[in-house]
Amino acid sequence: MKFSYNWIKEFVPTLDIPAEGLERLITMKTAECDGVEKVGPLREGAVVAQVLEAEAIPGYHNQKALVDAGPYGIKTVVCGAPNCRAGLATIYVPLGVKNVSGVLSDGMLASAAELDINKDHDGIVELDGSEGIPALDHAIEIDNKSITHRPDLWGHHGMAREVAAITGHALRDVVDMSRLPTPSWPVEVQVEDFSLCPRYSALVFENVTVQASPLWLQARLMAVGLNPINNIVDLTNFIMAELAQPMHAFDREKLVGPTIYARPAREGESILALNDETYELTPANLVIADGSGPIAIAGVIGGDGSAISGTTTTIVLESASFQASSVRKTSSALKLRTDASMRFEKAQDPRNTVRALARALELLPILSPGIRLVGGLADCCGLLAEPAAIPLNLDWLGRKLGRPMDAAEVRRILERLEFDVDSDFNVTPPTWRATKDVAMAEDLVEEVGRMMGYDSFPPTPPMVPCAPTYDPPAREFLRHVKRTMAAEGFTEVSNYSFISEGEARRFGLKPEDHLRVLNPIAAGQELMRTSLIPGIHRNIVENSRHFDHFRIFEVGHEIHRQQDAKPIERAHLMLALYAKDDGRAGLLELKRVAQFLAPGLEVRAAAAESFEHSTRAADIFWHDTKIGRLAELHPHLVEAGRAAVLDLDLALVQELAPAVLKYTAVRRFPTSAFDLSVVAASREPAGALERQIRILAGPLAEAVEYVREYQGPPLPEGSKSVSFRVVVGAADRTLSTPEILAIRDGIIAGLAAAGYELRI
Amino acid sequence: MTELVDTALERIHSSANLADLEAVRVDVLGRKGVLAQLSKDMGKLTSEERVQRGKFINAAKQSLEGAYDALKAKFESEALAARLDAEWLDLTVPAPGPKRGALHPVTLIQWEIEDLFRSMGFSVLDGPEVETEHHNFDALNIPPDHPARDMQDTFWLEGHHLLRTHTSPVQVRGMEKLGPPLKMIAPGRVFRNESVDASHEHTFYQLEGMMIDKDVSVGNLIYFMKTLLTAIFHREVTVRLRPGFFPFVEPGFELDIRCLICGGPGCPVCKQSGWVELLPCGLVNPHVLRSSGIDPKEWNGFAFGLGLTRLVMMRYAIDDIRWLQSGDLRFLGQFA
Repeated sequence: MKFSYNWIKEFVPTLDIPAEGLERLITMKTAECDGVEKVGPLREGAVVAQVLEAEAIPGYHNQKALVDAGPYGIKTVVCGAPNCRAGLATIYVPLGVKNVSGVLSDGMLASAAELDINKDHDGIVELDGSEGIPALDHAIEIDNKSITHRPDLWGHHGMAREVAAITGHALRDVVDMSRLPTPSWPVEVQVEDFSLCPRYSALVFENVTVQASPLWLQARLMAVGLNPINNIVDLTNFIMAELAQPMHAFDREKLVGPTIYARPAREGESILALNDETYELTPANLVIADGSGPIAIAGVIGGDGSAISGTTTTIVLESASFQASSVRKTSSALKLRTDASMRFEKAQDPRNTVRALARALELLPILSPGIRLVGGLADCCGLLAEPAAIPLNLDWLGRKLGRPMDAAEVRRILERLEFDVDSDFNVTPPTWRATKDVAMAEDLVEEVGRMMGYDSFPPTPPMVPCAPTYDPPAREFLRHVKRTMAAEGFTEVSNYSFISEGEARRFGLKPEDHLRVLNPIAAGQELMRTSLIPGIHRNIVENSRHFDHFRIFEVGHEIHRQQDAKPIERAHLMLALYAKDDGRAGLLELKRVAQFLAPGLEVRAAAAESFEHSTRAADIFWHDTKIGRLAELHPHLVEAGRAAVLDLDLALVQELAPAVLKYTAVRRFPTSAFDLSVVAASREPAGALERQIRILAGPLAEAVEYVREYQGPPLPEGSKSVSFRVVVGAADRTLSTPEILAIRDGIIAGLAAAGYELRI
Repeated sequence: MTELVDTALERIHSSANLADLEAVRVDVLGRKGVLAQLSKDMGKLTSEERVQRGKFINAAKQSLEGAYDALKAKFESEALAARLDAEWLDLTVPAPGPKRGALHPVTLIQWEIEDLFRSMGFSVLDGPEVETEHHNFDALNIPPDHPARDMQDTFWLEGHHLLRTHTSPVQVRGMEKLGPPLKMIAPGRVFRNESVDASHEHTFYQLEGMMIDKDVSVGNLIYFMKTLLTAIFHREVTVRLRPGFFPFVEPGFELDIRCLICGGPGCPVCKQSGWVELLPCGLVNPHVLRSSGIDPKEWNGFAFGLGLTRLVMMRYAIDDIRWLQSGDLRFLGQFA
C-alpha cells in the first residue's frame, strides 16, 4: 500500500517532518515501511507555459517550439509530441540546454506520464488554463503484511491519524457530514442478511458528465499506484484511498427494476466482471443484484453490464460494508484480489459508508460540473454494535511493558488515537478499531507500548524459579548420531522432503503409499518422501562428477501416509559411501560404522530390491528387530564406481538401545576355547552359521568368533569351509574337559543334523 | 694352556656377527669347549695342582665370558641400530583412511543456539513437519479466512494436513505437553510454497522460542533477545523493537539489529537503512494461551521466531540460499 505524503499533509496541515523522517517514525510506531520514492521528480521547478510558435525541423520528427515559460522567460525547446502547437498551454520543465535534432533545446515540454500524473505519453500535457501543476510528492510504501490487522490504515485519513498521534500535530477531518441529505430512498435497497452486508448506503446522481479528472486528482491516484480512468471511477478510487471505504458506481440506466439487492448468488448464476472475466457463482458468494441478476460481486468487483461509460448520465453510487470473511472466501475462491476485497477482508467499519458519501457530495460537483443529486440518502443498515469498554489496570500495564506507567501519558496516547478513556481508565476503542483489531486489554498494551517506543523499556532478566529443564532424549541421541558420522568421515547433507512419482517408483516405492502435496511448487515435487534414498541417490550422482570417493549422510524425516489418521514421521539415518573400486570395502565400512550406533547388530542376507545390486543386499537386525538395510546401489543407478548405502530407523535404534548400562562381574575362572570348521555351500552366509553355532553352544558359550574361511581343494567346487572359535566358561567354576567336550559334541551333532559336514 | 685360552679369546674377538659369536661360544664355553677340556684331567692332578688349575680356569672363564658378553652386547646394539635405520619412515605422507566429515552449517548454528538456551534453562523441543490446521493456524489465533494466512504460502497435503509454515506450532505442542511455567525453543524444518531463487527457498529452518511465566514483560523479552544476539554474533548488538503484526502475539514486534556490515550509516546489505530485520517476536496472545489450556489471567509470556537459515547465511556470508539444500560436497565439505 502506497501513501502520498502530500495527501497525509492535507489531514495534518502543520506536519513539518519530511517524508523520509516520517517513514522512520511510522516504521517505529505503526507499520513497516518499505521505502520512500519521489513522485513526479520533474514537477520540481516545472511551470505552466504557453507555446508561442512551433515549426517542424527538416529531416526530423521533432518540432522546434518557442515557449513562454513564465518566470524562466522565452525558451526554444525541441519537442517530439504531435500535439505541440502554437497557442497550447502546457508544462515546461527546466532541464538545461542540450543539442536535440541539431537545435539547442533549453528545457523540455513534458507529457503527463513523464510527470507521473497519469499514463498518457502520447503527447505533452494540455492545460485548460485554470489548472495548476500538481506539486512534487513522495510515496511512502507500507508493507501490506504489517497492516492486515488495521482496517483503518488502508486509507490516508487513518494513516494521518497515526501521524498526528505520533507527532502531536492536530488531525483535520475532510469529511463534512452535514452535506448528507436526509433519507428518502432514490433507489430501493434490500439486504437479505445483515451479517453478510451490515450496511448498504447509496446516492443517485443525474446530469453526470463522464470525462477525465482534474490533473491534481489524477496525480494523487498515480502517487498511490491507482490508474486514472474517468472522473466517476476516479472518484470512487480517490475516496477509497482517502477513507479506506471501497465504493462502486453503477450506470443507473443499465439497471433493471427499481430495487438493488444484496443477496447470496443463486446456484447457476454468473457474472461478466469489469476485468472481462466471467465468474460462475455459488450461494457462498454475496452479490449485488438488480431485477435481472448479479450486477457486482459484493466487495470484490463490479459487473461489466452496468459499468460507467462515456454515455453514462445517471449513476448509483454505492458505499456499502461487507463481512470480512465472506469477501475473503469469495475472493480466494474466485482467485480475484482487488483493491476493494483487500480492504473489506480486513473488517471495515460500517459507520464509514455514509462518510464516504458525504465526501463524494463535496467532490462530485468539482469533477462533474452540473451534476445533480436525485432524492436523498438510501441507507439500509443493520444493528451496529457499539464498541465495548475495556478496563485498563495501569499497574498491570506496567508489568506487561516492564516499567511503571504514568497515567497522564497513557491517557494522552490513547486519546490521540481517539480512544475514549473515562476517569476509571475504562477504555473504549473508536469504531474503526473495534471491528476486529482492538478487543482486549493486551491490545491496549500494544497501543501504549508502540507510542511510548519499545526502546524505552529497559532489558530486564526475569525473576523465575530455577528448576531442571525437560530434555527430550531424542535431542542428545540425534547429536550423538551426527557427531559419530562426522567423526567417521561422513559429511552431512540436507535434501528436500519432496520427491516425484518417478523417483518413488525407481526406488521400489508405491506412489499411492505417499502423502500427496495438493499444490506442489513444481512438477516432480508432488509426494512426501517415505525414504531418504531418492535424495541421497541424487547427491551420489551429482558429487561423483567432482569426487572419486566420498562419504555422506543425512538425518531426516520419513513421512508415511496413514489411512484416516495422522501421517507417521520417523527420523532415519542414511549413510552412503561412494568409491571407484569393487564395492566390497564400502559395504563392510558402512557396517562397521553402523555398529557404533547399534553394537552387536546382525546383518542378515535378504533378497535385493530392484534398485539394489542383485547379490549385495541385506537387512540389519538388532535385538531381533529389523532396524535397517545395507546394500550396494544397482549399477544402473550409478554411472561409474560403486555406491554402498545404509538406512537406519533412528527411532527404533533409540528405542532398542539399553537404557542403563550394567556391570557384569569379571570372570574369575579361566575360559576354554576350541575351533570348529564347518563346510557349507559357498554362498551360505557366515552369519547364519555363527547364529546356529551360538544356539547349539548353549548358555556356557561366552563367544562365537568368526576366524576365517577357505575355498579350494580338497573341498569340492561350490563349497567352503568356515572356521569359528567357540569360547566357553562358567561364572562359578572352571569347566571340566568332559563338560567342554559335551558342548563341542552338541554343536557338531546339531550341525550334522542340519546337514553340515565338519572338518575337525 | 695359556695358548689354548689365547686362541679361544682370539676366536671370540674375530667373530664377525652374532651367529659367529654363538658358534664360538659353543666351541669355547660349551660342554665340549676349551674350559671343559681344561677341567677334564682334574682328577689326575695333585690337590695343589688342582687348586692352581682351578684358579687358572676361573680366570680364563671370566676373561672369555667377559669378551663374549661385551661382543654380544655390541652386536645386538648394532643390529638394533641397523633395524631402526632400516625402518626409516616418511611421516609427511598423507594419513590413510577417511578425512573428518562435516556437519551441515544449519546443524552447527542450531546446536550453538540450542546450547545457549539450554544454559538459560530452556527445553529444546521437536515437532512434526506435517501439521494440522489446528496447530499451524487455529491454535495460533489465525482462524480460517484470516488475512494473515496470506503471509505464509502453505503447502497443503491430502487429508487436511499441511506442511508447517513455521515452527510456531511447537509452541502449542510445548504448552500442551509441559504446561506453565515453560521455557522452550524449537528448531526445525519449515515449508513455504514459494519459488526458489538466490534468496528464497521453499524449505528452510526456523527456531521458535517461548517463555511462559508470571508477569513476563516486554523488558524481559528485550533482555533475552539482546543476550541471544550478543552470543550469536559474539559481540554487543544494538537492537530496536518496532510494531509488527503476528496474530499469535499481542503486542507484536519486529526486532531489528544495527547493521553488522556498516554499523549504521547504511549499505547494500541493510538497504541503506542501517538496520537489518532479524526476528519477529511479542507477548503471547491470550487467545493462544487459552487454546492451549493455560489461563491468561495467571500466566503470560513472550515468543519469538528466529530465521535459522538466515542466520546461517549471515554467519558464514553465504550468498546463495540454494547451496544449503544442494548436497554439494564442494560447499558442505567446507564446514568440517
